[in-house]
Amino acid sequence: MNIVAGCDVGSLTSKAVIMKNGKIIGHHIIKSKPRPKDSADAVLEKVLSLAGISKNDINYCIGTGYGRDRIDFVDEVVSEISCHGKGAHWLLPTAQTVIDIGGQDCKTMKIDKDGNVKRFMANDKCASGTGRFLEVMAKVLGISIDELGNLSKKSRSPITLASTCTVWAQADVIKYINSGVPIEDIGAGVNTAMAGRVAILVNAVKPEGDIFMTGGVAKNVGVVSTLEKLIGKRIKKVRKADPQIAGAIGAALLSMEKVNGKIAA
Amino acid sequence: MDIFYDAATKVKCESILNWKKSGKPVVGYTCSYAPPEIFHAAGILPVRLRGIETDGTDIADAYFGPFICSFPKCILQLAGKGMFDFLDGAVITPGCDSMRRIDECWRKAGEDHDGIVPPFFYYFDVPHKSEAHGMRWFKNELKLMIKAIETHFDVKITHKGILAAIKKFNIGRRMLKEIETMRWAKDVVVSGTDVFTATIAGAVMPRDEYNQHLKQWLSGLRRRKKSLSKNKIRLMLAGSASDEINLIRLLEENTGAIVVAENICFGIRAEGNEIDEKGDPIDNLAKHYMDQSVCPRMYGKYKERLTSIKERIDRARVDGVVMQNIRFCDLHGAENSLYERDLEAAGIPCLKLEREYGPRADSGRMKLRINAFLERIDAKSNQKSTEPLSVSA
Repeated sequence: MNIVAGCDVGSLTSKAVIMKNGKIIGHHIIKSKPRPKDSADAVLEKVLSLAGISKNDINYCIGTGYGRDRIDFVDEVVSEISCHGKGAHWLLPTAQTVIDIGGQDCKTMKIDKDGNVKRFMANDKCASGTGRFLEVMAKVLGISIDELGNLSKKSRSPITLASTCTVWAQADVIKYINSGVPIEDIGAGVNTAMAGRVAILVNAVKPEGDIFMTGGVAKNVGVVSTLEKLIGKRIKKVRKADPQIAGAIGAALLSMEKVNGKIAA
Repeated sequence: MDIFYDAATKVKCESILNWKKSGKPVVGYTCSYAPPEIFHAAGILPVRLRGIETDGTDIADAYFGPFICSFPKCILQLAGKGMFDFLDGAVITPGCDSMRRIDECWRKAGEDHDGIVPPFFYYFDVPHKSEAHGMRWFKNELKLMIKAIETHFDVKITHKGILAAIKKFNIGRRMLKEIETMRWAKDVVVSGTDVFTATIAGAVMPRDEYNQHLKQWLSGLRRRKKSLSKNKIRLMLAGSASDEINLIRLLEENTGAIVVAENICFGIRAEGNEIDEKGDPIDNLAKHYMDQSVCPRMYGKYKERLTSIKERIDRARVDGVVMQNIRFCDLHGAENSLYERDLEAAGIPCLKLEREYGPRADSGRMKLRINAFLERIDAKSNQKSTEPLSVSA
């Protein structure tokens, strides 16, 4: 059996994917625990049970994400930038530009015909333009991060955040809540601010060809639609798998290349 | 190598403390455009001022403000903490505007922190253009500084003395050049971390002592056979001033990479270039320091710098260039973008990193980007190796 796995331990969520002969037979996402090792163990246990296999059935496993160096069971670690490139290519083979918004950073990459990263650019230390920004804002608004994306559709008059600094923007949002501004207008403003930050990074790499988005924020319709307007290009969507698990898929694909004796990126 | 590590990682290293015991003066300087040969000729130990061993910038923040490079801040922090109490003098140079501001910030801090301003505190101006008028200006600045040193320290700096210092420094420069040449080989026998350490040590140790230890180390390197570069990605480190060994270590440790060249202020950039020993020594110093234009502080010389970095990339068989700039470093921030544009177009992978200097350095964030960059180079070279070779009929 050609069974491989990829485990992506991110700062907000941890993801695991098991593939058999190139097809996903199990995947799962959990909220990350304080210790990366615990996150990895928990998400692997769950995904093994979903796939109906044991750990010994896995031929090769690659770890990725910020916690990759703390995972006990992996055979190798690869950066999430390379994994997201591979994963995006599998999800959308025509993708040439990939935008990955993770929990604590945001990257834009250009990939080749095999999903290898040709160029990439990552945001600097600031948390704005990352999943953490949305998480903080959703918490202030008292809604789930999933609900935040849909607010843009309902908004009639989105607010403008004076600062994209996560701390200052939080103060701004509280001010709007206290002023009685409808929550959908605040949420839409948050999504627009987020898209604005990401657009700077995307435009900096001069996007080419089909654009695809990975990471949890790819599911936020508010951010995605505003980002499309700001970069003047469509972002392709696929139903093949959840874009949030693209990094884990990429890790599993790289594992498969290892098992098959191909040159892994 | 131990003495080099001591000199490169401690502000108050053994070499400086031993020199102080002899009662001879020490003068710190802030920029590679200030010629240490002049201090040496005056019997003074020239020590490049650095910002290592800081654990915060609370003192410096009060004088510099938040939006400025963390390197000069770390230098002022050390001054404020009394870590430079061995200095008899300090020479401040406008390497860039942030470094120039050390002059007023250090003097202002001296009003609040007793005894932190050395008795000889001198501003050494360096023009930003190396054309004839800039050269005349620079020579005049050299003469003014010589006069100021002579007056303050009651010494005489003669042309003969400067020439002797040039000769002594050239001995070290020749050895550094040989070490750099060794890194051009397919099989490199010395790590980038070690070379960087040895080069930094040269900026703080007394030259006689340095030359002697460098000679011993070089003789050992010549005998080395074991390749450290086999199956490794060869990197060049470029960008803002850095004297942090840990930065090179981050690139080399557990990454499958080796640093084979630097294009930064503290590395072997121009340190391997000799100064002319014939003719007027002031003219020769001016020519050496001004004409090279190796730093983006020099206006209108980008094309020359690009040509130079490309030559060094070719010679050292560099697979990729890591270009870092300290936050708010406009000079290197802008130059790195130009290098990235032009080097990528020439097929040389580049990684731009913005970072903080010293205690604020965030190695975790940098590690991810470095790993991804190395994976990118790896994938590229693997593709090349699997592509069919074109065979002519």
